[in-house]
Amino acid sequence: MYFLYELERVITLHPSFFGPRVKEYLTNRLLEDVEGTCTGQYYIICVMDAYDISEGRVVPGSAVAEYTVHYRAVVWRPFKGETVDAIVSSVNRMGVFADVGPLPVFVSNHLIPGDIKWDPNATPPQYTDNGDQVIEKGTHLRIKLIGTRSDVGSMFAIGSIKEDFLGTL
Amino acid sequence: MSSADLLNQDFGSESEDDNFNPAPAGDSDNDAAGDSDDEANVTTKANNAQQRRRSSGRRNSGEEDEDTKDNGAENADGVGDEDEDEDEEEEDEDEEEAISGRPRKRARRDPRNQFLDVEAEVDEEDEGDEEDEEGEAAGFIAETHPDDLVDLPEGATTDDRRHRELDRQRERAQQIDAEQQAQLLREKYGRRTANTADPVTVPKRLLLPSVDDPSIWGVKCKPGKEREIVFAITKRIEERAGTKNPMPIVSALERGRTMLGYVYVEARKQADIHSALDGIMNVYPRSQVILVPIKEMPELLRVTKSEQLQPGGYVRIRRGKYAGDLAQIDDVETNGLEASLRVVPRLDYGQNEDVNAPMVDGGIKGDAKRKRQGAMGLTNAAVRPPPRLFSEVEAKKKHMKFPQQMSTFDKKHWQYLGENYINGFLVKDFKIQHLITENVNPSLEEVTRFSAGAEDGAENLDLTALAATLKKSTTNENYLPGDTVEVYEGEQQGVTGKAVSVRGDIVTIGVTEGELRGQNIEVPIKGLRKRFREGDHVKVIGGSRYRDEVGMVVSIKADQVTLLSDLSMQEITVFSKDLREASDSGVAGGLGRYDVHDLVQLDPATVGCVTKVDRESLRVLDQNGSIRSIMPSQISNKIEKRRNAVATDRNGSEIRTDDTVREIGGEQKQGVILHIYRSFLFLHNREQTDNSGISVVRATNVATVAAKGGRVAQGSSSGPDLNKMNPALMRNGANGNTPMAPPKSFGRDRALGQTVTIRKGPYKGLLGIVKDTTDSEARVELHTKSKTITVPKGTLGFKDPMTGQNIDYTRFSGSRGRGDGGRGGFSGNMGGATPGRVPDWSGGRTPLPMAGGRTPAWGAGAAARTPAWSANVSTARTPMWRQDASSANAESGGRTPAYMASNDGSRTVNPYADGSRTVNPYGGAPSVGARTPSLEPHRHILLLLARSLRLLPPPPPPTQAAAPPPTNPPTAPPHLPTPPPTPQAPPAIIAPMMPQHQEKISLRRLHRLRSQVMGTRMWGTPLLRWKGPRLRSFRAMRLRLLGAAGDAGLGG
Repeated sequence: MYFLYELERVITLHPSFFGPRVKEYLTNRLLEDVEGTCTGQYYIICVMDAYDISEGRVVPGSAVAEYTVHYRAVVWRPFKGETVDAIVSSVNRMGVFADVGPLPVFVSNHLIPGDIKWDPNATPPQYTDNGDQVIEKGTHLRIKLIGTRSDVGSMFAIGSIKEDFLGTL
Repeated sequence: MSSADLLNQDFGSESEDDNFNPAPAGDSDNDAAGDSDDEANVTTKANNAQQRRRSSGRRNSGEEDEDTKDNGAENADGVGDEDEDEDEEEEDEDEEEAISGRPRKRARRDPRNQFLDVEAEVDEEDEGDEEDEEGEAAGFIAETHPDDLVDLPEGATTDDRRHRELDRQRERAQQIDAEQQAQLLREKYGRRTANTADPVTVPKRLLLPSVDDPSIWGVKCKPGKEREIVFAITKRIEERAGTKNPMPIVSALERGRTMLGYVYVEARKQADIHSALDGIMNVYPRSQVILVPIKEMPELLRVTKSEQLQPGGYVRIRRGKYAGDLAQIDDVETNGLEASLRVVPRLDYGQNEDVNAPMVDGGIKGDAKRKRQGAMGLTNAAVRPPPRLFSEVEAKKKHMKFPQQMSTFDKKHWQYLGENYINGFLVKDFKIQHLITENVNPSLEEVTRFSAGAEDGAENLDLTALAATLKKSTTNENYLPGDTVEVYEGEQQGVTGKAVSVRGDIVTIGVTEGELRGQNIEVPIKGLRKRFREGDHVKVIGGSRYRDEVGMVVSIKADQVTLLSDLSMQEITVFSKDLREASDSGVAGGLGRYDVHDLVQLDPATVGCVTKVDRESLRVLDQNGSIRSIMPSQISNKIEKRRNAVATDRNGSEIRTDDTVREIGGEQKQGVILHIYRSFLFLHNREQTDNSGISVVRATNVATVAAKGGRVAQGSSSGPDLNKMNPALMRNGANGNTPMAPPKSFGRDRALGQTVTIRKGPYKGLLGIVKDTTDSEARVELHTKSKTITVPKGTLGFKDPMTGQNIDYTRFSGSRGRGDGGRGGFSGNMGGATPGRVPDWSGGRTPLPMAGGRTPAWGAGAAARTPAWSANVSTARTPMWRQDASSANAESGGRTPAYMASNDGSRTVNPYADGSRTVNPYGGAPSVGARTPSLEPHRHILLLLARSLRLLPPPPPPTQAAAPPPTNPPTAPPHLPTPPPTPQAPPAIIAPMMPQHQEKISLRRLHRLRSQVMGTRMWGTPLLRWKGPRLRSFRAMRLRLLGAAGDAGLGG
């Protein structure tokens, strides 16, 4: 689910950047540092604006200055139970790996409907029900997330397509 | 009543009679039927008996009276008859005893062996039976003397007695008339109803033992032998019954498994135990004997349901080769002592057999040795072969003859080395006492071994048998407050809730769903199981080999939970009881010192990345790509992750840990770099299932896909890192201390044998001769005093052979090249560019030997056009390695060409001064724009600038200047008196700039620009970050230099 979060970040700046355009520089730094990262809880998709940039404080003992930047950002936070669309990135005996944007999702073969079977002999290997449903690399899938795990800088989820309206698109 | 019975039997020592006599059958019946009055009797009866017993030894005469007293008391009851019988028997016995008494024994023994030791008396009792059996026949024949009749073995006497007994009984029965008999029977059997109506109830506590009762002692014995001991005691009681020294104990019992290693003996005195148990095997009455407190006595008789082994169930083997192994019960022998088990065999098929061992000493000695080794081998876990199903192929390798097929239709039945193997399993009889039947706790993977055949073992398991086995061991099923649990058995079946508190076997649940929601209910642990949902993050806690794995639940079937391990991305099936909910974040699973993804040193030449951590072993992928299973002890050390380790990929870009790279060729492996070790990269890729996603590649085989933190992937497109080229940084950092090393000269050092002056140090000013040199130092023999000193070569002053000038070593050694023009010319031709160009600009003028002056050779004066190693120059025309553009040292070779230019324009390299003489670049070689300075001055500057930064390829040297006039002397004096210092480069940049850009660039700016180009830092940031092709105008450059970030658009 997408949210507009108000977040803050402390940016340290080398004195060589002190000058009239320091704000511009800070904004650029913020975009570089923050956009497209994962906090472990959510992904920061886009920084809308830095609405408050504090005054710089020179850190004692070094020449760098610290700025606290408050900014608004669009974040995406995957939830348990959320239904998402994904693109299959790899398929193996144990299940299917798919990507929901930046989030890798694993769909175990326990969570794939029983009629969709693993076919290792096909090229590329695929899950198929010998009908119109074929899951191979690149397939678009609709997945329900049933569990998420967050590591320090990344997230991981497992999903299911064993319900109505889920599966290949 | 049982205790009373015991008492009764004991004191009379006529236990056999009881059995023999049909009448007393009613006795036990009475017990069951009517507790009340009978039990009121118990104590008295017992007491009487005891009293009697006490007195019996001392005074036989008084016995009769007591008996009558007894009779009197018991006749009041309805049971008098039986007791009468008993009493009569007792009388008989007593009479017998009275007759024989003590002398009887002596009489019996004397004739046989007068020298028999008194101590042996006890033993004799043990052997009594045999003696009796032998002696019966012999004794009758040899000693038929009537007097000896009394000496007859017990069996004989009792037999006789019993006959008489029976006769008497019959007589008595005949005497009683039918009516009486009916009355008797009614009393006997009709009491049931009468008794139920009887309001008198005896409190149960009266049945409990009191201080007047005999005490019970616990005696230590060999564990497992309890029953044997009790049997032995029983036997001894029988043997000694009616002898002079009957067993002084009342009863003996054992508690089986619950109290292993103890038998309990009921006796009056502790001393009685010693005498009674003396000589019985495996029991140790001499060691500590424990008195059981009266309160605990009833507990001793509490019945525990004995373990009933069911075929199909699981047990563990207690000892031997299979100690600790799980076994499935195939069959249980009816005697309850042995069971036939199916075990996964641990066979080495003779692999570890020591071929030399048996015949070393020969005979028994060697044999014994081998045996001992064998025994050690069995206990030694290291030698114990791993459990594997029997393979006849393996067996036949070493022991051709041994494997025998047992039946033709069942091909899987083999006999090998005396053991039976059916379907790969060893089927063998084990004693039940050598089995662990409680808390077996079979783990799923152990159990799957027994379901051989199917691919997915979990599916065709006999789960009911397994569950039954598991249910028995509820002890280590641990619930913690907070666990989500489900009741699957009993009244509250189906209730789900969270454990609130756990006390012993009772779990209090706060119900979360259904009608009972919000209530707390208490449920016994055995009907409870943990409940998880798909997607839960769980950790394996139980005794399975997956312990401490963390993962997400993928599927749940009854109490089997499948989870996807976080680390290995493998699916694991475990019982729900072995799981516990884990927090949603973080990957635990650190076991011991080594963790998955650690880089460990295996031996000095090998490192490996841990791919899996088991409880005892690690799985490691080493640098050669092979997978090893090792013990933690085999690891010499752990290599900490080096954050700043750098390698270069096949494109020459720098790669660091956490970069994403892809293998070019091979398997196209892709992944994030975990470790860089020498030229090997350990990659991790989540989507790869084998080796937990870890693979090893060579650094030279990978290309960067994404560098961490947006560090530019410096491929061929973006050129080298300009920061490193910044002359300002170089000068600042190095401060001239590390100028480029002089080109190495080869061959004999020219300084050898020269007369030199020393220009620095304590020997300054002294004259000497160079005797020996190294790279940096020279040994100089001083003229003044006969001493050889070692001084740096740089401090030596040489006399120039041509000019007589005092020059330093570098110049001195460098002059060699110039003196040898022929070689220079030759090398110039070798440059490759010259021949092609020659026709263009010189029209057949062949380069002469002295054209060497313009060769890019290292020492040549025309080295101006060799951008080779002079990377840090700010002017492209600096000819010498020692180029310091700002230094105006007269000796600097930097200006030599300029000087030469003024002297002889033909050889100049200064395009500004001499532009007219250059070949028209647009005509001949358009590509070499660098040589058209006069036409496009500032473009030229930029090109030079760019070239100095190595953004553009250097111009081919020989096309640079016109050929020298043939009149030039072949060996031009390389060092003429220094011309007036005309600092060349900087003005060359600035001068052309001025006229055209005066209106835009102020002098101050220009100065700044210049100083930057010259390496003076005006700004705190690294300068010169622009990329060559984008510098289209000075304006752009100026803006760049002003540090306006992101103004690229304005640059046009």
